[in-house]
Formats: sequence, structure tokens, C-alpha cells
Amino acid sequence: MPRPQHNTITFTIDGREVQAPENAMLVDAAKHGDVEIPVFCYEPKLGNPVGACRMCLVEIEGIGKLQTGCSTPVKDGMVVHTQSERVKEAQRSVVEFLLINHPLDCPVCDKGGECPLQDISFGWGDGISRFIEPKRHFVKPLELSPKIAIDRERCILCYRCVRFSQEVSEDYQLVLLERGAHSFVSTFDGHPYVAPFSGNIIELCPVGALTSRSYRFRARPWDIEDAGSVCTLCPAQCNVSLTVRDERVMRVLARENDEVDDGWLCDHGRFAYPALARGTSSAEAGGDRASQVLEQASAAGNGHPPSAEPPTAPNANPHGVHVGMRVSEPLLRDGGELRPVSWERALEEVAAMLERAGARTAALAGSGATNEEGFLLSRLMRETLGSPHVDSRANGALALELQRALAEPRLQAKVSDLEFAHGVLVLDCDPLLDAPILDLRLRKGARRHGLEIERVAGENLRAMREAALRLSEAGAELVILWGERFGAGSDGEERVRALLALAEELSLGEIDGAGLLEIPATSNGRGLRESGVLPNCGPGLSEGEQDGLDTHAIAAALASGELSALYLLEVDPLGRDDPFAAAAASGSWADALARASAVVAHATLLSQGLAEHANVIFPAGPYAEKEGTVTHPDGRVQRVRRAAAEAGLTRSGWRVIVELSLRLGTDLDVRTEKEASRQLFEAVPFYAGLTLEEIGGRGVRWQERELVAVSGEPPARGDERA
Amino acid sequence: MTDMLLFKDIDEPGLKTLAVYEARGGYDSLRKALALTPAQVLEQLEASGLRGRGGAGFQMGKKVSFLPQGSMEKYLVCNADESEPGTFKDRELLQKNPHVLIEGIAIAAYAAGTDRSFIYIRGEYVLQADVLDAALAEAREAGYIGERVLDSDHSLTLVVHRGAGAYICGEETALLDSLEGKRGNPRLKPPFPANQGLYQGPTLINNVETLSTVPSIIALGGEQYAKIGVETSTGTKLVSVSGHVQKPGNYEIELGIPSREIIYGLAGGPPEGREIKCWFPGGSSAPVLTPDDLDVPYDFDSVAKAGSMLGSGAIIVVDDSTPIVDLALKVAKFYRHESCGKCTPCREGTNWTVKMLERIDSGEATPMDLDIMASVQEHIIGNCLCVLGDAMAMPIGSMIAKFREEFEEHIEQARVRQELAAHA
Amino acid sequence: MPERASGWDRASDPEKDPALIPDPATTEVPPELRKRIEDAMTLYPERHSAAIPALHAAQELHGWCSPEAIEQVACVMRVTPAYLDSVASFYDMLEKRPVGKHSVYVCTNISCSLRGADALLAMVREHADDDADFNVRSFECLGACDIAPMASVDGVYVGPLEPSDVPQLLDDARAGRPVLPQKQLATRLVADPNANSQEFPAHAPEEARR
Repeated sequence: MPRPQHNTITFTIDGREVQAPENAMLVDAAKHGDVEIPVFCYEPKLGNPVGACRMCLVEIEGIGKLQTGCSTPVKDGMVVHTQSERVKEAQRSVVEFLLINHPLDCPVCDKGGECPLQDISFGWGDGISRFIEPKRHFVKPLELSPKIAIDRERCILCYRCVRFSQEVSEDYQLVLLERGAHSFVSTFDGHPYVAPFSGNIIELCPVGALTSRSYRFRARPWDIEDAGSVCTLCPAQCNVSLTVRDERVMRVLARENDEVDDGWLCDHGRFAYPALARGTSSAEAGGDRASQVLEQASAAGNGHPPSAEPPTAPNANPHGVHVGMRVSEPLLRDGGELRPVSWERALEEVAAMLERAGARTAALAGSGATNEEGFLLSRLMRETLGSPHVDSRANGALALELQRALAEPRLQAKVSDLEFAHGVLVLDCDPLLDAPILDLRLRKGARRHGLEIERVAGENLRAMREAALRLSEAGAELVILWGERFGAGSDGEERVRALLALAEELSLGEIDGAGLLEIPATSNGRGLRESGVLPNCGPGLSEGEQDGLDTHAIAAALASGELSALYLLEVDPLGRDDPFAAAAASGSWADALARASAVVAHATLLSQGLAEHANVIFPAGPYAEKEGTVTHPDGRVQRVRRAAAEAGLTRSGWRVIVELSLRLGTDLDVRTEKEASRQLFEAVPFYAGLTLEEIGGRGVRWQERELVAVSGEPPARGDERA
Repeated sequence: MTDMLLFKDIDEPGLKTLAVYEARGGYDSLRKALALTPAQVLEQLEASGLRGRGGAGFQMGKKVSFLPQGSMEKYLVCNADESEPGTFKDRELLQKNPHVLIEGIAIAAYAAGTDRSFIYIRGEYVLQADVLDAALAEAREAGYIGERVLDSDHSLTLVVHRGAGAYICGEETALLDSLEGKRGNPRLKPPFPANQGLYQGPTLINNVETLSTVPSIIALGGEQYAKIGVETSTGTKLVSVSGHVQKPGNYEIELGIPSREIIYGLAGGPPEGREIKCWFPGGSSAPVLTPDDLDVPYDFDSVAKAGSMLGSGAIIVVDDSTPIVDLALKVAKFYRHESCGKCTPCREGTNWTVKMLERIDSGEATPMDLDIMASVQEHIIGNCLCVLGDAMAMPIGSMIAKFREEFEEHIEQARVRQELAAHA
Repeated sequence: MPERASGWDRASDPEKDPALIPDPATTEVPPELRKRIEDAMTLYPERHSAAIPALHAAQELHGWCSPEAIEQVACVMRVTPAYLDSVASFYDMLEKRPVGKHSVYVCTNISCSLRGADALLAMVREHADDDADFNVRSFECLGACDIAPMASVDGVYVGPLEPSDVPQLLDDARAGRPVLPQKQLATRLVADPNANSQEFPAHAPEEARR
């Protein structure tokens, strides 16, 4: 489907000639001339403008009435005034009208200091009100959902939240009731607003009417710092802005990146963070109504990503160690129980374990492990211990030629292709569960551009092909969005071959906007593979020296005693919600872990499998305590930035791996995070020449840097973007 | 006075039945139209100069011509959501001569190239909707509506859709939202309904009286019809006269006759011993006129020149027994109740105006409040999403401007009364 | 217009489930209601257009747009109950609270109030407010200013009304008889000049106001 094309035109705003894209709304076009037109209801992410708040009235020469800048497309030669007395009076009057029913309780309002209504009243309002009638007073705040509080007194009826519910997440649970000045935002008959993306309405609200119950009264805008990073709780890798106070993450906000998340966050990404950073105390577990409600929503077909809160086992451990807790110091199993120990002791023990096991050690990496951590883990295994048994694919290995074929840049669809394609075939995945933000992108494509979507299960290859052919009738731009599990099992490779053949048949590699997009099982699945965490190849899908065992074979080899030690980088093959557990044959890992002589893990939260089987657990950190890079499913290399202090004795995975290697006699030659990244970029041919600066805050799709083939040959020049 | 077109035989027993309607020449115009090309029918409509009878007074033929050509799904919607206070003319037509509307719709749909039409009738008009449903069943049976109308290539479906009580649904884009099953919120324009209306398709929206006039235009010929009335306001018009007159009711007049002739001549003027204080020439949304304006010719442009509007053709007469504050409060409360709440100036402005008027009425105001109230009306006018805000602000503004002394007296007297009560 | 809307102070109950599109397996819909809604949906290119006709039908059956009624409509139309609640609460004729089975809408807009509507409404309230069978409402312009002051009784327009007509009017409605047959709009002529003539109300407006 054709992307919007924009010619540049020249128009006059406040007496100055300004160039802007033709047909951009005046509000946006004005920004090209550094002119700010105030808005409340305008938010392009929500669809067509509604022109409800009337804050953006401007004067256009040749048109009698003032016009809304949010809905008037700019044309060549247009002459616009935003500073005339007429416009100023209209702006003052709208602010005055809005403040009639607004309580002005800014000193006790959570939005104070970051409130568009405050800013606009200050910038465009009159400073005094002529309204002397009594204001309305409601009971406040009220619960709108377990996560969101509503203060209807403050609501200025901008319609943003209800438009989000109705036109973006399409759950249609949040509506306006009654009419006129009586209108108010509500759900049906006192039901809570529980939906996979509900938290976005908090960010959309231009006043303090919708607030986060977990953030309320926790910080003021002048107490906090914003830190940009990437959420690594699922493969969607949404860009986030972390609100940090006193080195602690208080809140997670969207950091709009059209090529990744379109400016939205799922509720899991938004609200799960505190539990990840703090862990759940055994006391508060079990009574979490919010997650129960989510379970029901999911069961009713209104799914959500898996809950972050792990189940809690009875706290029988005298050291306060329990499932769900944040691991913030090294734990060593001693006399059957995990006990906190010093780093020195932990490293010493693990070095000894690995020394003993040597090449009979296997390693798995998953969850939020960064590219650098995966890369160094692979080096530790291959170079230090001489073991090729490393894997990051929960579903087991795929032939190298197939992996390379799948990674061909020309076949690679990107996130925005999902929106503008003619058709998307959703194959063996559920975007809402596997990478929630992509679900919104598909809905947007269907709603705005007539995208056709079909969902098929991969077990029937004929049905897959037929669905793809049907979709391609709507237009040549077809994207196949497929889940890693499609390639699982004994006939997985056969299926992947069929998928590649289908892509060839439909010329997906030749058509702009068409292609394949895989949702890996783990958050950084693509990055870990490209960093070399695979049994059958090295960094950058290069030919390996020696093939190792894949995930399934490792489980079997541990159970049979062929392998003796297991190194788990943010994986618990028995953990609830862990993709490795989900992909495994039932019972296989319980045996494997029980037989293993040593199980070493990096973990943020203590999970069931580790609580039972790990010999040593290193405290890893959640993403806000990490520094490194991850790779988005479409090849976008993104930076994870440390926003908060490492809790307790938490230590980054890369440091631990480098230290262990040193103790085992091999210097990996990495002393800083940047060195780890540099080494990675040098090792992966198609990352060659990348720098952290180039990646920046938006990320870089390696396919777009140079025309590189996935052949193991480094590109000629690396540090220029295509 | 010219012959009546719309009210001809209006009280003929059984006119609402097909048999009587046909016996009086009913559906001949449709036959005549179907023998012409759609373009020729459109020519007749344009030649007639017929201006929309719903309130805005836009040329009907021009509106039809704005619809894009082509095979996309287009719609015709008849606005029978007659809700403007003081207006009850469409009700009379719907109830007594439903077939003339159905015939008009069939002809207009043919000219506009649409094959799907709807009548959006206000939910309170139960009797009229029932009459319409019965007439529609007869018209379908006789082949005037349905597949291949009168064996021509033109087909037309027609659905009578009952509203549920909201003044704002008389606004054409709010009506479309309501017909789509949503809250009746007006839409941002552009896009105009002629390009993107019902279900996003090009849509022609016309009032009951407008469409009911179409058969007469085809019968007479557009040019002949244009000879009735005055140059920029052709034809006859139904006028609803109510309030303080001796004979309230609907009258069909030739556009351009003096307003006095309607109010005094037809409706009998105010009751014995009373004088007219002010009058709304076009429903409660029109700025009020005074007895000085009684000689203004009753047509679109003359009334506009006098500072008001012909609107839906509803004259409400208010005599000197009514305090202006009462009238203003009644008007303001109505619009507050009917504001949809979507845009700020209307939602908050109507609410604020009512509160100020209540304070004025109860003696807790000063003349300065009149300035504030006048300024609030100015801040509403022209700044809203649709015309509902203006529909309050214009009459209220006109009352403050024309009866300021009475407002001030009212404030003073109410204040004194309150003080006396406090000291008693 | 009451100064407060009923839902302003209402919180969500976190013990409830989110209100999704009702599950047909667990939502019982009376067959006649289901049929009316399904028939309405066939009339329009998009099923949502049937919302108002469907809510009218549900209100006829349940007496008001109760949560249960809305859930039933939502189930048949395959929309969320919130969608319909939002629509229902926008329109004056759709009741959001239980009401008496006989509706008496007294028009109190300009033309009717100029001719004594406020006194009429007071009289109706005096006689019917305590009667659970009646739903007495002050209504905006009903489009019958020629018979001002007037009322719509169970959808039937009657006027011009004197306060003294009220007992008869209510009795007729109670008994299910035609309401004030001689004052029904249906019988009124328009082209007969005499039809437009009527006596002025006994109460002058300013007296009615006090």
C-alpha cells in the first residue's frame, strides 16, 4: 500500500515564510516555523482529528471564521495568524471555558508540573477567571481499574482516553456517558477498565484526571529524571522513558518510536516493572486481583501478555529466600538450601564447577540478556571451556543455511510494513501475547489502510499457502508474521523451507514493503542468535568450528549424564512464563536439572526451577539496571541504557562472565561495557562499524546501513548509514 | 396569495393513503422525472431556486450537484428530526401527506444517483412515524420504492429510522452519527456530507419540507416554480406560528410577504390588550426581532438583513407580559440541555450562561454580569464545532443588546426584593 | 436538568470482570427481543445502525435500559455494553433508571411555557408524581406548539391542555383508554382557518410563574 508522500510547500505563519510538508495539519506545520499552536484533543496517534477542544483556533486569511489548526491541512501560499488579537481572544476564552469545571487543585494533583492544562493556561490563558459560580465537586479519586484512578472533577472532556479505547485498542470499554456538561468518562455499570493496553490513557490524559495508582503521590516532576531505554520484557522491544527518583524506577512511559512501538506501551511493559525491580514479597502474593482480572480477560479472548508476578511458594526458607523475590545478592546452595554469599565465594564456587565440567558444560541464554552478554557467554563456552553447546532458541536449532536465508535483508519486513501492507499472514503466533504492541499496529493497518489479516496455524502447510495466496490477491505487499514455534519439532526445517519457498513464490524479497517478520520466543531472540548464541554457528551466523547440541539435545544430554553442568543466562527451563519451559517436552528439564552436577544461573527474580535446582544464582538486573544492546525482530539494533542503580549486590552479566573466564585462565579482554559492545560489533560482520552513538536513541536497522549479504563477509565500509 | 402547493388538500380525508394521493395526481411527478435523465431532473431542481427548508437555506439543487459522480455507494437522508423550538411544519406534512415526501425522496434520489435512502424521524413523532411506515409499505407495494422503480433502471430502498430524543441530531452530521448508531455528536467539517457522509459515502441530506416540495417543482417545471416568491427566496414556505398569537398553527405563505401579514393577518396577532415585545423569526436559535421589524419581508435575505434568520420558518411571538429574563433563561436552559458536550465553548458556555442568568434572576448579579454574559456569547459565536452554541449565543446576545434596560431593572428589583426579604 | 449526573461519583468495582462483548452461551436473550434486533440489523449496511431501534425494543420489554437490557442488546449486536450505554445515555427517550410504565412528557419549551406549561406540569406532578405507574417528565420542544401547552402521553400528543384536564388525562392513561380523544393532535385540521383559533389559557404566563 502506498506510504503517504509529502511535497514541501511554503506558507506564511505570523508573518514569516515557512516550509512544511503539504497537507500536514497546521498544528504540525507550524512547528516547522517554531510556532506552537496549543492543543488538548489533538493527538494524531488516535486517528483523525476531532476538533473538540477548540484550543487550536487560528486565523487564516480568506476564511471568515477562525479555524481549528488541528484539522486544517496546510496548503501552498496559505497565510496563517496565531498571534492576532482575534486568535488570542479565542484562545483566552477556551482556557477560561475549560477552567470553569476544573478544580485547580494543582498543589495536590499528581499531574502538577507536567500538565498540559497548566502549561497552556499559563501560556495562553488570561490569568484570571470571570467565573464566580460554585464549581462542581465530585467524590475523588475513584477507582477506574486496579491500575488507574479517575478524578472526574479534573476531566476537561478532551475525548482522548475514550478515543484510545474505541479506536486504538478497540476494546470499547471506556466511553462517555450522558450528554453536554453532564458528560463523564466511564465504563459500563461499574465494571473496571481492564484491557491489554489500558495504561496508555494515563499518558494521553492532558490533565490529572487519569492517574496511575502505583505512581500516585510517589514523586513530583521536579524530583525525577527521565531516562530513555528499551523494554526487554518481550520481543517487541518498545522504547520507553523511565521516570527515576533516587536511583529507583518509579514509572515507565512510552518513548515514541514509529518504527518500533508507534508511541504505545502494553500494560505489562508499563506496570510490571516495579515487581521486577523489587520482587514480590510472599505476603503480597496471591491476592493480586489485577492479575486475576487480566487472566479472565485473556480467557475471554481479550488477551494480555503473561503476568510478571510469579506464583509464590510457601516461604519455608530460613534465609527469606522465596520464589518471586528479587535476587539482589549471590545465592549458593548449601545443605540443600539457597543462602546468600559474597561475590568472591560465589565466583570461586562457580569457577570450580565449570573447571570440573569443562567441555561438558552447556549454556542457554534468553529473557532480557543483551547481545553483549550473549556474545561473551558464547566466548566463555567456546573459547574458555571448549564447549559448543550453547543455544538461545527455546525451540531448538535450525540449519544454518535456513537461518541465513531467513535473515536475508531483502526478505526482512519491518514493523511499519505491518501497517501499510495489503495483507498480513499471522502464522503460528499471537501478536497480542507474543509481542503485544504489534497487535495495535495490525489493528491500525486494518482500521486506517484496509489491511487484510489472516491467522493460520503452521501445522497445515497447504492452509498456510492458500491463505497467503488469498491475501496476495488484495495486493502484492504481503507480510508473513510468524512465530519461532513454527520452526519447532522434527519437521520444523521442512516447514521453514516451505515458508521460504512461499516467500520466493510470492516474490516477497523483491517487493518493497513485503517480507517475513519473525517473533522470536525470547525478548532478544534475534540479537542473541546474531551474537553467536547458537550451537551451529558463531557470531553473525558465521560457520562454527564445531557443532554443539541444541536446547532439546542439551536437556537430553544432561539427563543421560553426557553433559554435567548447565549455565543459565536469564533462563529457567522450569519457570512459569519462560519460553524455554513452554517449548520443552514435559518432564525433560526436570530430569535434566535433577541430574546436572552444577546449575549456575543469572536471574533477576527467583523462579521455581532455579529455587529447586540451581547451585549458584548470580543477581542479574532488570533492564533498567543494564547497559548494552539488543536487536529487534526486524533487525533494529537498540540500546538498553542503565537508568537506575543496581539493586543490592547486583552485577551485570557481562562482568560476571568476563570474571569467570579470567578465573578459568582466559582473558576475554573486556573491561567496560563499551568494550563489550565494540567487540560484538567487530565480531558480527553485519554489525561491523556500528557505534553506540550511531545507534543512539532510535536504534539502527543493520539491513539499512549497507547492502550486506548474510554470508559472513564483513561489508567494505561500516560507519556510514545507507 | 398564490395557490397552496404543500397544503393543497392537506385535510382531505384519507390523503395519507395511496389511493387518495394517487387520485389527486400523486406520483405523476415521479413518472415524469423517470422519463427524464437524472441530469435533466437536476436541472429542474437548480432552476427552481429552491432553498433548503431545514434552517440553513442552502440551494437544494446545488447540494445535489455536489455529490460526486460515479458508482460508489451514495445515500440520501431525509432529515425529519424536527426539533427546533417553535417548529412543527414537517410534522404536519409527515402526518397528513406522507406520500408527497416519499415521492420527493424518490425523485431526488434519482437525480442524485443514489439507491439507498433513509428518513431519520425524531422518536417523539410516534404517530407520524407510524403513518410514514404505513405509507411506505403501500408505496413499496405499488412499485414506487424498491427494485426497478416503475420498471425503470432506478432502484431505491427507503428505511424509516426513529431517533430517541436529542435536538442536536437535527444537525446534519450529528444526524449521520446517530443514524450510524452512535451518540449524536456533530462531525468536523470538512469533509462535508456530500463527499463523506453516511458510512463515509457521499450523502445528500434534506429536510422534509424541501423534499416534499420536489414533486411540485417537477410538476410545474423549475422555472415556473421560481416565479413564486422573490428572487433569492423562491416558492412557498410553511411557517409555524406559535406563542402569544391568537391562532397558532402552520401556514403556507409565498416567501417575501411582510412578516406583519403572517403574525397579525394569519395568526391573529397577540391576545387582546397585549403588545408584541419581541419575536423569533426562525425558531429559538434566531436572534429576536422587535415590533419595529414587523414590516420586514419574510424571506431568507430580508430577515438576514434585519439581523436575524429565517431558519426553519418558525415564528415565536412573545408579548409584553413575559419578562425578558424568563425568556432568556428558557432559551439558555434548552441549549444547555441539548449541547452534546463535544466542544468546549458550547458545553461550558451554555452551562455558564444558565448559571449567570439564574443569578441575574435571583438578584445576585450586577450590571457588570451583563457585560460578562455578552462577552461569553461572543466567545461562543463562530468558535464551536457546530452551530448549536451559536444557536444559544445569538438569541441571548440579541436579548442583552435589545433589552439591556429591562435586564438591569430586573437585577435591581430582584436585589431589592432579596434585601427586603433578608431584613424582614 | 438536575445539577448532578448520577454516575459522576461512581467508581468501578474491581471485583467485577471487565465488560466485554457478552458471551452468547451465558447471556439469555428473550427470543422476541432477539428477533427484533436481528431484523433491525438487516435494514442497514452496518449493524451498528440498529443501536437505537434495538434499545427502543429492549426498553419496551424491560421498561428501561437496565444493565441487563443493555447486555442482551450487546450480545445480539456483538458490541460491548459500554458502547450501548454510551448511546443510551445520550438520548432523552431512553431511560437509564426504572420508570413508570405510562410516560407523560409535558413540553416546557418556549411556546408552551408562554401558554401555561409550567402550571400544567405542576398539576401533572401533583397528581402523578407519587404514582409509580407514571413517568412524568418536563420535555423540550415536542414540535406541537400549535396545541400549546401540550403533552405526549404514551406517545400520543394532546393539547391545548388546561390544568383541569389533568385528572382525566391520567385516568384515561391508567385505564388504557384513548387519552382526551377530543384534544388529540391526530384530529386537528390545519387548512380550516378555524382550526388555528383557540382560547387563550386561563393562566397568564406571569401568574403561572409565581
